[in-house]
Amino acid sequence: MAALLSAPPAQRRSRTATSSERRRDRIWVMALAVVLGVEILYFSIAVSGFFGGGSGLLSLTEQFLDVGVIALGEAAVILAGEIDLSAGTMSSLSGITMAVLWRQGMEIWVAVLVALAISGAIGLLNGLIITVFKVDSLLVTLASQFILGAVATALGGGSPPYGFPGSFVSIAGTGTVGPVPDQLIVFAVLAAGVAIAIGRTRMGRSLALIGYNRPAARWSGIRVDRTVVGAFVASAFMAGISGILVSGLYNAARNDIGDSLLLPAITVVVLGGVDIFGGRGRISGVIIATFVLGFLTEGMLVAGDSSLSATMVTGILLIVCLVFKIGLERRGGSDVLGAVRRRAERLRHLGPGAGAPPAVGDELP
Amino acid sequence: MSPDRLGAAAQTRGLGHGVPVGRARARRVRSPGGTEERVELAELGERVPGEAGTGRVPSAPGGTGQGGRPEAGSPAVSGWGAPARYEARSVTKSFNGAIVLDDVSVTLEPHEVHTLVGENGAGKSTLFKILSGLYTPDSGRLELGGETLGDLTPRSALGLGIYLVPQEPKLMAHLSAAENLYVGILPRRRVRLLVNWRQVHREAATYFERVGLQIDPATPAREMSIAQQQLLECARALVHRCRVILFDEPTSPLTTHETEILFGLMRQLRDAGLAIGFISHRLDEVLEVSDRVEVLRDGRLVASLRRGEATRDGLVSAMIGREIGVRTRVRRTSDVTERREVLRVESLTSEPIFRDVSFALESHEVVGVAGLVGSGRTEIAEAIFGLRAADSGRVAIDGRVLERRSPRACIEAGLVYLPEDRARHGIFSEVEITRNVTAGTIPRLPRRWGLIRQREEQELAAASAARTSVRMQSLEVAIATLSGGNQQRAMFSRWLLAEPRVAILDEPTRGVDIGAKDDIYDIISDLAASGLACLIISSELEELCLTCDRVLVVYEGAIVGELRGEEITAARLGELVVGGSSS
Amino acid sequence: MSAVAGSLTSRRTFLPTRALWARLVRLRELQLLLAMAVVVAVSAVLHPDFVSSSNVSFMLADSSVTATLAIGQTLVILGKGIDLSVAPILGIAAIVVGFPAQNHGLPLAVALVIVMGVGIVLGVGNGILVSWARIPPIITTLATLSVYGGLQFIIANGQEVVNIPNFYDTFGNSDLVPGVPWALLAAVGLALVVWLFLRQTNLGRSIYAVGNDADAAHRSGIPVQRIIFLTYVLCGFLAGIAGLIYLCHTGSADSTTGTDSNVELTSIAATLIGGTTLTGGRGGVIGSVLGAIFLSIALTAMVFARIPPIWEPAGVGGLILLAMVTDRHSGNLGSGGPRRVGRRH
Repeated sequence: MAALLSAPPAQRRSRTATSSERRRDRIWVMALAVVLGVEILYFSIAVSGFFGGGSGLLSLTEQFLDVGVIALGEAAVILAGEIDLSAGTMSSLSGITMAVLWRQGMEIWVAVLVALAISGAIGLLNGLIITVFKVDSLLVTLASQFILGAVATALGGGSPPYGFPGSFVSIAGTGTVGPVPDQLIVFAVLAAGVAIAIGRTRMGRSLALIGYNRPAARWSGIRVDRTVVGAFVASAFMAGISGILVSGLYNAARNDIGDSLLLPAITVVVLGGVDIFGGRGRISGVIIATFVLGFLTEGMLVAGDSSLSATMVTGILLIVCLVFKIGLERRGGSDVLGAVRRRAERLRHLGPGAGAPPAVGDELP
Repeated sequence: MSPDRLGAAAQTRGLGHGVPVGRARARRVRSPGGTEERVELAELGERVPGEAGTGRVPSAPGGTGQGGRPEAGSPAVSGWGAPARYEARSVTKSFNGAIVLDDVSVTLEPHEVHTLVGENGAGKSTLFKILSGLYTPDSGRLELGGETLGDLTPRSALGLGIYLVPQEPKLMAHLSAAENLYVGILPRRRVRLLVNWRQVHREAATYFERVGLQIDPATPAREMSIAQQQLLECARALVHRCRVILFDEPTSPLTTHETEILFGLMRQLRDAGLAIGFISHRLDEVLEVSDRVEVLRDGRLVASLRRGEATRDGLVSAMIGREIGVRTRVRRTSDVTERREVLRVESLTSEPIFRDVSFALESHEVVGVAGLVGSGRTEIAEAIFGLRAADSGRVAIDGRVLERRSPRACIEAGLVYLPEDRARHGIFSEVEITRNVTAGTIPRLPRRWGLIRQREEQELAAASAARTSVRMQSLEVAIATLSGGNQQRAMFSRWLLAEPRVAILDEPTRGVDIGAKDDIYDIISDLAASGLACLIISSELEELCLTCDRVLVVYEGAIVGELRGEEITAARLGELVVGGSSS
Repeated sequence: MSAVAGSLTSRRTFLPTRALWARLVRLRELQLLLAMAVVVAVSAVLHPDFVSSSNVSFMLADSSVTATLAIGQTLVILGKGIDLSVAPILGIAAIVVGFPAQNHGLPLAVALVIVMGVGIVLGVGNGILVSWARIPPIITTLATLSVYGGLQFIIANGQEVVNIPNFYDTFGNSDLVPGVPWALLAAVGLALVVWLFLRQTNLGRSIYAVGNDADAAHRSGIPVQRIIFLTYVLCGFLAGIAGLIYLCHTGSADSTTGTDSNVELTSIAATLIGGTTLTGGRGGVIGSVLGAIFLSIALTAMVFARIPPIWEPAGVGGLILLAMVTDRHSGNLGSGGPRRVGRRH
């Protein structure tokens, strides 16, 4: 054997030098955590009834964790460079399916499993249409959003089922362990699972690489189609879980409950630092963003604002964050003022990529 | 010059009306002296009626609304701006703290082909991008005909008559050739605003004719070959009446014949008084076409030579900063005894691209594939690797036939493929080196309870990168921070992890510095010595001569010849790749 | 083309693709007209009422709101963007003129100017975020969907428009000749202007150029970001007009007008059905208007076929999928394999 194939000299790992990409991601997540802290502090002081001795704060989480659960699945899809617009109505459909099966006499937990299986199957179908026909996921899931919504409405009929068995409501809905709501525990388990799956498994690794550069992933022997389908199954499955949780929380199935969950879920994913074009992002960011957005909305509601103005603030928050974040990235993670100054300078250019980093690989030493 | 001032200037001239995108505003104030004159391009055979080409004259009351474009009804005309010297003075540019251009001054004279050479990363392309307004320099200034230019954008550069023909032509795929030519400045009817499509097509045809592009102006750009697209880019420079045209490595995707056509055009333009900028890696053509050659190394100008002063060896040593020895051919096949067949391809066909391709590779062997771009050589490799569906044929690795080929299946069977287009198909540029190296073998990564063990992964990557001596600061930096040569080494280490029996190497030294090419050849010959069979696809015939034991020649989708040992010469290969007889 | 993909001779071959290309472009419009004819014929045979002038008029008037929105949406999608915020723009425009119309009989012409202004201002908001702040369009407009929705809620202040002056109603619900409602004529008129703009002006062609390849367009001297900005402004402008048409047609407006019926999604659906591709740079407004009309006809046919209205969204979704599949079949998406359009091999 030639020297080339033998005796690799030990390469010293450098712990200090990490890629600037990662460093920026970490800064983003930390910034989010700070924002969360400030936000909770502010509402606890300024809005009576928000903190509620800690347990009030915890029980507020029930109101928005359904968004977080959808966001976990959506994050997987967005990491792969796709998008799933059907997650909201998928959530409604899953709740309705479960409730209707239960009303037909099925054991509630069996109904839950069936509903989740159906969700997964629909995700599979979404993914297969996208990969087999090679069409834009935006388009396919836009269509399936319409279709699933109609199916949910038709299934639910005029008076969707309500009044589930107490055991179900207490576990999936309003129950608590000590001061901690069950839903928070469910979310914690799911979030940990997704974080590990994305960060440490082969599937998760493939997913991010596909998001970064799909052709290169294919050329490297990564099973692109299979992984993408997997992401859509995960997204639909998580949406299904959220539908069950919402039904448990309200102790009733509603055929339009999921419609309002999609936009906040995508907001959470983006706010959490996941690149909308795929590749970069951390689940930890998504988890923190769930609480940032959730507490903000709930805080405003507790303070007496209408839900629509809370939504409005959500949108503004998203825009401000992105302007800040995109500016940060252009500047290489430091000197925010410089970023603003250079942006103003570039206004006169207004060309694509004028502010983007150079096409590296050729001209960098 | 700021947009506001441009607008104000146009207003005062009373010409700011009827011009939709504001191009005319930029153009009209272009020549502050107002002393411009036109240069007719007799060689390119246009007929210039009296009033045509008024666009360059600041006050052209008759020709308003056209933004200085050919008037409706007039035949294709070409008035050039006055020949002007284009200078970059003390230009400095850095990206993320890395200095790419350090106080560089160059002067592009009219009537001259001015060539920049240098290794990858020397800053050539960056300089051209600054000259054409794609990048803004950190410091330094640009002067055209003695006038200092303000912030240059591609748009204002075009207005001034400066155009960059990019390395890979980028056209708008679904628009017609004619529209691509005129995009943004489509000639309009007498009735303001509305585009005169008949005129667009008619005049496009004349421009195409002048650059030697034989194509229906209505053909969508996506159906054009790369050479055609490049010629269209040249024609666009003519449409904009450029005085300075910059060519960034235009020849790398072209065949010899196409290159000659392009050079002919460049000479014509030069003789007409344009300043031509040129970048190439092929020193032979640099010496052939240049009037002046300047050498960039590590962002600094290290040599400036006139035609006749420049020699190949002189350029090379200036580029890499040291003398390099002449590499001799290394052959190993003769001294290896135990060889066995590791790859067999039988009657592989994928109409209409290639058909009935059969060959076999033995261990320890380095086999080349020569062929023109478009001959089907890359497609054959992609079909073998399962990236492209084949109509019929079989591929066996190590004696085992692969029934359903996919990249994954091939890698598992011991076949790897180093793609030609590293940026698109090879690296994940923003991702750390570790993950780039292990990306080809994700299923084999060490795991515990299904979770990847990151420390062991890193050790694997480190070991593999060390085998190909990737020079890097750390494994945790994005691979894009590496030089082309080091990225390619990282690609080799990716595939070493897969423990392959056969490696298909598509243009293994593309985008690799001259100095680093030898290292890649060393890696290849070490790999072969250790038993790997290598199939090298290359446009550089010299490279095949240097590295291969055997060369297959592909012409129009079929293997038309095979050379062995001493038969392999650049001259013979050159004949065969264009369809010459092999006898 | 012959087998010799790479030889000089075949490369230089003249490709008589002009006719073919033009045919492909027109194909989608033809497909749609054909599909409409089939739906109308079948429904007419089963339910003669379907082709009564009042029903035809209803269907067409109904489609005019979607059609107007789809024209704007087409501009944005051609430039490789997307605008989800058209629903609240429509809603804000409708209530902003709805209250003065209800209370003070605001003249229609003034109302038109106001909705245009409202649309432009909100469109400018989107345009700034996309072209200057460079936030991806889907995220930007998702956010402004929320923001403008909140704004609409604040402006409405819990009140509804229920009564509009007669002349509004006349515009929204009466016909020029039986079966040809004024509202649709307005939409078609707008479509023709935009069609001319897209086809016959440098600015319009620049939108196609940007949608095809923004980098290439930038290098060719096209002010890419300004063009993108323009598409959002025009889309907002048209959404504002759509708001007025909506107000005239339905006679009502409130704090959730537009968003509650997901008009942003139907406008996208009409655009896609009309043959404009999300990848940008291909398609046109005529297809989008036909798409909107087809959508309306198909959904009304569903009602006539006694399919409960709750299945309407499913019909829209099914049509999007159908549009997708037929697009494949007309060969626009290419065949499997790695697509390397315009690149060498």
